[in-house]
Amino acid sequence: MRNIKIEGVTKSFDGDVILENLSLMIPGGKFFALLGPSGSGKTTLLRLIAGLETADSGKIFLGDIDITHMPINERRVNTVFQNYALFPHMNVFDNVAYALTIRRVPKDVIEQKVIKVLRTVHLDRFIYKSIDLLSGGQQQRVALARAIINEPDVLLLDEPLAALDLKLRERMLVELIELQDQLKTTFVYVTHDQFEALTVADYMAIMNKDGCIEQVGTPKEIYEFPTSVFVASFVGTTNIVHGTLHIYDGVQVVEVPELGKLAVVAPADKVWAVDGNKIAMSLRPEKIDISKTALEGFSNMLRGVVKSIVYHGRSTQYNVRVSDDLILQVFEQNEEHFPQEVIDYDDQVYLYWQKENVVLLNQ
Amino acid sequence: MNIVARIKSACMRESSFFMALPAFIWQLIFLYVPLIFVIVASFMKVDEKLSLGALTLEHYASFTDPLYWVVIGRSLLLAMCAAIACGIMAYPVAYYIALRATRWKNVLLFFLILPFWINLLVQVYAWFFVLEKNGLVNTVLLKLGIIAEPLRLLNTPFAIFIVMLYCYLPFMAMPIYSILERFNQRLIEASLDLGATPWQTFMRVTLPMSLPGLKTGFFLVFVPSFGEFVIPVLTGGGKKLFVGSMISLYYLDAGDTQLGAAFTMLSGVVLLIVSLFLNWLFKRIVRVSAGGQ
Amino acid sequence: MMKKQALARGFGLPISVGLVYFFLYIPIIVVIVFSFNDAHYAYVWRGFTTRWYYELWHSAEVWDALTNSLIVACSAVVLSLTMGVLVVWHGSHTALARLFPLFYGTLAAPEIVLAVGLLTLFSALDVELGFTSLIAAHTLLGLGYVVPMVHARFSNLDKTLTEASLDLGATRGQTFFKVILPLLFPSLFAAGLLVFIISLDDFLISFFCSGATAQTLPMYIFSMIRAGSTPVVNALSTVMLVVSSIFVLGFSWIQVRRMGMRGVRL
Repeated sequence: MRNIKIEGVTKSFDGDVILENLSLMIPGGKFFALLGPSGSGKTTLLRLIAGLETADSGKIFLGDIDITHMPINERRVNTVFQNYALFPHMNVFDNVAYALTIRRVPKDVIEQKVIKVLRTVHLDRFIYKSIDLLSGGQQQRVALARAIINEPDVLLLDEPLAALDLKLRERMLVELIELQDQLKTTFVYVTHDQFEALTVADYMAIMNKDGCIEQVGTPKEIYEFPTSVFVASFVGTTNIVHGTLHIYDGVQVVEVPELGKLAVVAPADKVWAVDGNKIAMSLRPEKIDISKTALEGFSNMLRGVVKSIVYHGRSTQYNVRVSDDLILQVFEQNEEHFPQEVIDYDDQVYLYWQKENVVLLNQ
Repeated sequence: MNIVARIKSACMRESSFFMALPAFIWQLIFLYVPLIFVIVASFMKVDEKLSLGALTLEHYASFTDPLYWVVIGRSLLLAMCAAIACGIMAYPVAYYIALRATRWKNVLLFFLILPFWINLLVQVYAWFFVLEKNGLVNTVLLKLGIIAEPLRLLNTPFAIFIVMLYCYLPFMAMPIYSILERFNQRLIEASLDLGATPWQTFMRVTLPMSLPGLKTGFFLVFVPSFGEFVIPVLTGGGKKLFVGSMISLYYLDAGDTQLGAAFTMLSGVVLLIVSLFLNWLFKRIVRVSAGGQ
Repeated sequence: MMKKQALARGFGLPISVGLVYFFLYIPIIVVIVFSFNDAHYAYVWRGFTTRWYYELWHSAEVWDALTNSLIVACSAVVLSLTMGVLVVWHGSHTALARLFPLFYGTLAAPEIVLAVGLLTLFSALDVELGFTSLIAAHTLLGLGYVVPMVHARFSNLDKTLTEASLDLGATRGQTFFKVILPLLFPSLFAAGLLVFIISLDDFLISFFCSGATAQTLPMYIFSMIRAGSTPVVNALSTVMLVVSSIFVLGFSWIQVRRMGMRGVRL
């Protein structure tokens, strides 16, 4: 499968620069997610790959072929549009068959392929239905079928699940993963929902509001080892604590006002992590243990008061005030129906975490 | 490969341009070029080829003769009366269909629009039967003993006015209907709820808000009526001249295209000025009715 | 006292509405009735007959005029629809779209100015007045309706439909024929019908631009009225009335059916 290489691409609309000198490598045959807040330019990037927009400068390669100026209909790239863009005057069959019909593929071959593809997306009962009779989820599958029947090199998905309700969305995410696994086509999935991105992606890239790519990596890398405060906060929830890094005698700590010294591990590749630097720490709420009693074996401990409790079903979130300026979020799994220790509002609690679970970020 | 693709897409874009061209060319040749010809012709000396020396203002100079202004003034008066009368007649009907009739709405609308689709000449011809010496009106009035002698209704200004009113009524009714149809009835309910009588509600809420429709209808009647040719010629007896018949006289009977062009230009400019003035007047009325009351 | 007032107010509106309809239809009814009048000069009732319809059916002049009208109308429809669709498809979404208001000029100018202008043009170009000049003029009228109507409908179409079609590999031409044209069809049909009727009905421009050779139906009626008519004109009028009614009925029926179609964004 061919890679997509985006080199130094710039694109502006009416004087607004959306993407500036952006470079990205999307590995072929994988499920790639492009995550970012609204207005970050991720849809623009997608449209550049599809050919629906042309870059002001820069190049886009599909494998070895320069597709920067190739017209839309010649690229082996197909798009699943956010609003599906199904042809209202055609039924399901004709919509899905469209790409083959215009290439004058023989009728029996078309019928065979259409039925096969519709079976893949579980729509084989609706082959001749009229579009306006379909539900949102069904329309979405038709849009999907229509795009993959061509066996394109790349399938672009522009927030395809945005219009669906939660349960349906969760189910479709799993189906999309299975589909990509089966087809081995490169999927490029654009979304602002970090949960969706983490779920489907083999690799993902995070874009910030200025149209720049902050980090690229596997979901695990991005979640556990973010490289900036933006990425740490945007993907999942985290506690960001600011302080000064002190390194001496092989000891690494961050001094936080009012809280004292917290033990950390400064990895060698973070060259900016030197003694005396102002630093930010990212500590995920699920990495913190909370208890009303003192516990042994943790490199860090803080005392605090429970300010609010939010019940999430699977887990409970505690917001604990540890100093005048700092409230830490803690997630505890609700492992038991009748927990031994019940934590309530205004309780005095201890927060524990290991120094290896803190990520140091450059401010 | 890159260059070939670029040339190909450029060609496609250019051919697209050429496909769109015929319509523009047609519009240019048959609407805008003729208008330019008319304008130019109005400044040309008779029977001379186009050159700078052939330009003259003599045609416009001859318009100091009050005859021309009588004709133009007469047409303006007719157009104004027709537009105002149409407004008065059409409004209640449009109001009724849009806001009152529930079951018969579509039927009434159909019968209101139908006369619009009848050929103008048939409409005029139909009125002959009503206004003629032996026509409907006279026959009925004679039978009822209201008059002793048949009235001369045809070939009078009255006939012209009535037939204009008849033919242009749908042009006024449709914009008014269209705006009243979308009218938010909650506003009427709110007004009544706050203590206003139905008449007050109409004058202070419904009427002001339907003024844009009235304005559209007014101009849809006023502008064509000014240049109307058929109705004054057929129902007016041809004694009194209107702008339309005068232009026809120059072009078709006298063959005097230069003077005709000049007169057309003159009438066109007068129409434009009067229309702009009326438009301004309307805007003031709308502002007053929205704010003052 | 209050009741009388309320009653008056209650009935005032319906009564005035009724009067207006009376005003609208009295002349029409009279024309229809007198088309069966057994008399040479139309205005006095003599007896019932259908011979005027018979005469109408056998009048060569009427059939000629009708044929001419139909030829001109059909040509105008075909020309204006073709050029109109092409200009909307290729012109929208480009710089040309800013020139679209040029097409509103036809409806804005008083008809007599159009007629006079066309006459001037044809004489300046030394074009003989006849079918060509008539069709050219009516096509101009047609464009003034087709372009605004089709452009309005086209702008309302989902732009992503074109993108989706191209994305799936179709050329612009294929996209036009397989996606855009079917979706534009209702407004094309409506515009075509409108142009057809306007062309058939047109008198003023035809009067100025057709010369002696191509007499259309309205021109025939005009000359008959001028010359002093027989009830044949009544019969013709009645027939035209019936045809118009059928057209309007058909038109409204199509509109109602379109509104009734579920879901699809039209």
